[in-house]
Amino acid sequence: MLLQKKNLLWVVALVIALFVPQMITNPAYRQIAVITLIFTACTTSWNMFSGYSGYVALGSAAFYGTGAYTMALVANHMHVPGNGDMFWLVPLGGLAAVLVAIPVGLVALRVRRHTFVVITIAIFFVFQLSAINANFTGGTGGLTLPYVPWQIQNYHLPFYYVALVVLVFAILLSAGVRRSRFGLQLLAIRDDEDRALGLGVKVFQVKLTGFAMSAFTFGMGGALYAMMQGQIYPQFVFDPMFDITIALMAFFGGFGTLLGPIIGGLVLESAQQYLTVTYSNGSLYLILFGVLFLLVILFMPQGIVVFVRDRMAQRQDRLESATKPASTETPVAQGVHS
Amino acid sequence: MNSSALIHAVIDGVLTGSVYALMATGLTLIFGVMDIINVAQGIFVILGAYLSYALSVHWGIDPFVGLAITIPTLFFVGIAVEKAFFGRLKGPEKTAMSILVTYAISLVIEGTLNMVFTVNYVQIQAWYVNKSFRLFGVWFPYIYVFGFIMAAIMLSGLYILLYRTRFGASIRASLADQTAAALVGIDVRRVSTICFGIGIALTAPGGMIFGATNTFNASTSYDLISRLLTIIVLGGMGSLGGALLAGILMVTLEDLVGVIWSPVWSTLSFFLVLVIVLSVRPQGLFGKQSARVA
Amino acid sequence: MKRKGKLFRAFGATSVAAVTAMTMAATTTSGAASNGTLAKGAPVTIGISLSLSGDFSADGLAYQQGYKLWAADVNRAGGLLGHPVKLDIVSDASSPTQVVTNYQKLISTDHVNLTFGPFSTLLTLPAAQTVNRYGYAMIEGAGGGPSVFQAGLKNVFDVTLPVAYDLQPFAKWLTSLPASTRPKTISYVTSNDPFTQPVVQEAQKLIGKSVKTVYNNVFPAEATDFTSIADAVAAAKAQVVVLGSVDVPTVSAFMQAFEQAHYTPEAFIATAGPDQGAAFIKAVGAKNADGMMVPNSWYGQSKNPQSMKMVAEYVKQYGGTAAGVNADIAEAYAVGQVMAQAVTATKGFDNSKIIKYLHSGVTLNSVQGSVKFNALGMNTAQTAYTFQWQGSKFVEVNPVGDPGAVKILFPKPAWGN
Repeated sequence: MLLQKKNLLWVVALVIALFVPQMITNPAYRQIAVITLIFTACTTSWNMFSGYSGYVALGSAAFYGTGAYTMALVANHMHVPGNGDMFWLVPLGGLAAVLVAIPVGLVALRVRRHTFVVITIAIFFVFQLSAINANFTGGTGGLTLPYVPWQIQNYHLPFYYVALVVLVFAILLSAGVRRSRFGLQLLAIRDDEDRALGLGVKVFQVKLTGFAMSAFTFGMGGALYAMMQGQIYPQFVFDPMFDITIALMAFFGGFGTLLGPIIGGLVLESAQQYLTVTYSNGSLYLILFGVLFLLVILFMPQGIVVFVRDRMAQRQDRLESATKPASTETPVAQGVHS
Repeated sequence: MNSSALIHAVIDGVLTGSVYALMATGLTLIFGVMDIINVAQGIFVILGAYLSYALSVHWGIDPFVGLAITIPTLFFVGIAVEKAFFGRLKGPEKTAMSILVTYAISLVIEGTLNMVFTVNYVQIQAWYVNKSFRLFGVWFPYIYVFGFIMAAIMLSGLYILLYRTRFGASIRASLADQTAAALVGIDVRRVSTICFGIGIALTAPGGMIFGATNTFNASTSYDLISRLLTIIVLGGMGSLGGALLAGILMVTLEDLVGVIWSPVWSTLSFFLVLVIVLSVRPQGLFGKQSARVA
Repeated sequence: MKRKGKLFRAFGATSVAAVTAMTMAATTTSGAASNGTLAKGAPVTIGISLSLSGDFSADGLAYQQGYKLWAADVNRAGGLLGHPVKLDIVSDASSPTQVVTNYQKLISTDHVNLTFGPFSTLLTLPAAQTVNRYGYAMIEGAGGGPSVFQAGLKNVFDVTLPVAYDLQPFAKWLTSLPASTRPKTISYVTSNDPFTQPVVQEAQKLIGKSVKTVYNNVFPAEATDFTSIADAVAAAKAQVVVLGSVDVPTVSAFMQAFEQAHYTPEAFIATAGPDQGAAFIKAVGAKNADGMMVPNSWYGQSKNPQSMKMVAEYVKQYGGTAAGVNADIAEAYAVGQVMAQAVTATKGFDNSKIIKYLHSGVTLNSVQGSVKFNALGMNTAQTAYTFQWQGSKFVEVNPVGDPGAVKILFPKPAWGN
């Protein structure tokens, strides 16, 4: 009963998501919607490894960029025409990211958490600098992809639905992992790695598998972005801010929860894009963004999902003691928009 | 390529590397005592550079003399930041959260600096900035030599503080093990606050030299922080001596690669060395054998 | 488990709220290019995305001044075809993703009638591709890198001479010197930037073997500490240095390292930096600037009457001296001028007509000189000049024999004198 009700809500969310492009016909906002979906998928995937295992990676842009370059290089060298056929390269981008993530993980996962954060940053820079300086990547000039000659009115529609598929994939994967024995092992590592090791968890293999799996979505996201953008530059697909944004979204929503990163991604990415478009004073924007960010971290350190859950539990307790039925929608909406 | 270029690269590396080491020491101290990865260290360096710049432009105060003002200023800024934000950070995700908090702080400072100083690049000027003297047939720029001497003085001062004072003993105890330090009656909170202040204060001299040897604006901080983080990880997080040696090693190596091979690959070599070293020694050059698990 | 169920409802509520907010924000929509007619007296809006923060912010801000100066001048003269000009400028924080969103927003939400380009080749390409989907013309002044023209877009027009030609006059001057006075050695060092590398490579090709190359290297575009690279160039002790730089800090770092190494090249030309007027002098000091050269297609003391008028207005409004006016200002201003001529000629704001007109081989004029576009949208009518700082004055020295040119200061005086 409960399970069905829960599934129903997911279905409702999916149906809403399917009709978003019908409600938003403005190309600028459709573009924001696609980017939001890509970021939300990446955040979900990031959380599937970093959130569950406690190993905070700040170099996932390396995989995003790998996906973007795979899309661009393969499309150019195989002379893939500038049309829907290019979408077949999206999973290929994911695959390339996984292939790259395995050796990266072999090096980075040997160290413990704090060092892991920094080594992922360093590895990320190795990727970025290689893309900037190698010949086949086009250097700082980047790569131009085949021009997709779709009319602007419906340009974003195919991208939106492919991005939605990527997001659904990322959510299903994350949910599946969470419920599996493998997911429990990741969580055990997060709680106490030495103990997990003592209990017979093959810690290194588990971490490496989780890390490589999470790279798949990043690669797909990067490939999709590259195709939509039509032109990629090394410093922007290998962007150090990418990971900060992802981590922020995950923490904002709720680190290590399934739902948190989804909410964090949807709310923050769309808000950020919209605000940048609307208000363009760069410096003021930085300050406001920083302050908002500080407030959220300091007052909701566990993220919105946990914050709201706790508040609702309190309210529930109060209401139950007053023997009244609970009304849930209102506090939720307030929690999200405050 | 000739030998004089090689000698130059080594000299440049040691002289500038010592300044990076100074900045990195602050970062590793903060991490060692508090488990905080302060990604705002880069912007604090730039803040230090701007303070020295403002003093020299508006009041004609020599940048080195100005340190008497900028070091205490940044020390108290550090204390204030620590008091305001880090007391609240707790729990297993403390380190990860600290990255986000300090990143947010750096955004606020970056935005403010952009508004106050605009985004036009500036450089700190003084008579010794562009002059050099000749020794053994090699030209030594005064500013680099002064920077090296200053870094040496500051680091010696820090050494004395740590190893010759009672308070230093508390810091070292906290560096080694916070729980044990608290058990023997050390006020770890207070030690943390002051260490954060010291860590930030060290960006004042580092920033001054950086600002006199490079043109900078607020966004220069991004390049700085990635280098500083690499240095402290290579040295072993929390290891002061490691940060010093790694700073000098890394910058020298970078300069040598630039001369021998190509400048294009010198920055890359910086990060590549870290990856290679860590795959052999996961705890860094001077890290403790078994790094703590948070 | 009960709590969890509520959370999922929370998710539904969030999605609904987010969608509602976005739909409300996007109530009005439009896709197609405007048909070129405006109500009488209604303002004509021009959409521009500029980097007001981030890597390109210094140039972005200068461009903003240039565009605004042009708009003010046009409006003082009665507007475009009687319609007052309104600039709709948004910031892209130097990000290509943002630049795409911005132009989409400018065209589909703000319904701008025309678009002008952002700053730099890097952002111009994605911007031009985007506005191309709407059938808009993109007139720009800072997207002169080869990648912009290689993309095969029909709607992009760069009013500034393509960058690859910038060093031609310098190369000609150098190779034409009699063998007895011609420098024997040269160093090429460039940032691996799409804007500078083609320029330096072109110069290298032109100079060829007539001056011996003793140092030739590329440094990463993202470098901020140039000490070791500059020291390596100094150690090569070439008589001529060609530096592919994108900004003041790069040039300044090289100059400082050269001075510290007591190395003064006889000729030192940098692709960008010395053209930044007051900003350059402020960073390097007036004494050190003496003899520094830079290629460009415009300068503050140009005798072009339109340019003199613009410079006078600029100085009146923002202060400084004619020599201190950033070339970005003129590039942006020229973009506006070219658009104004196209609008006047096509008697409207129809982008397809404007594109057709600009491709018709007509010669237009601007503060930077003549403008004539080839099939790729390059301006082929302009001449490149070489400029030099001489005793705190920024003067034209090349092409040799040009009426505006003064004698080149060669060899370059020692640093700090």
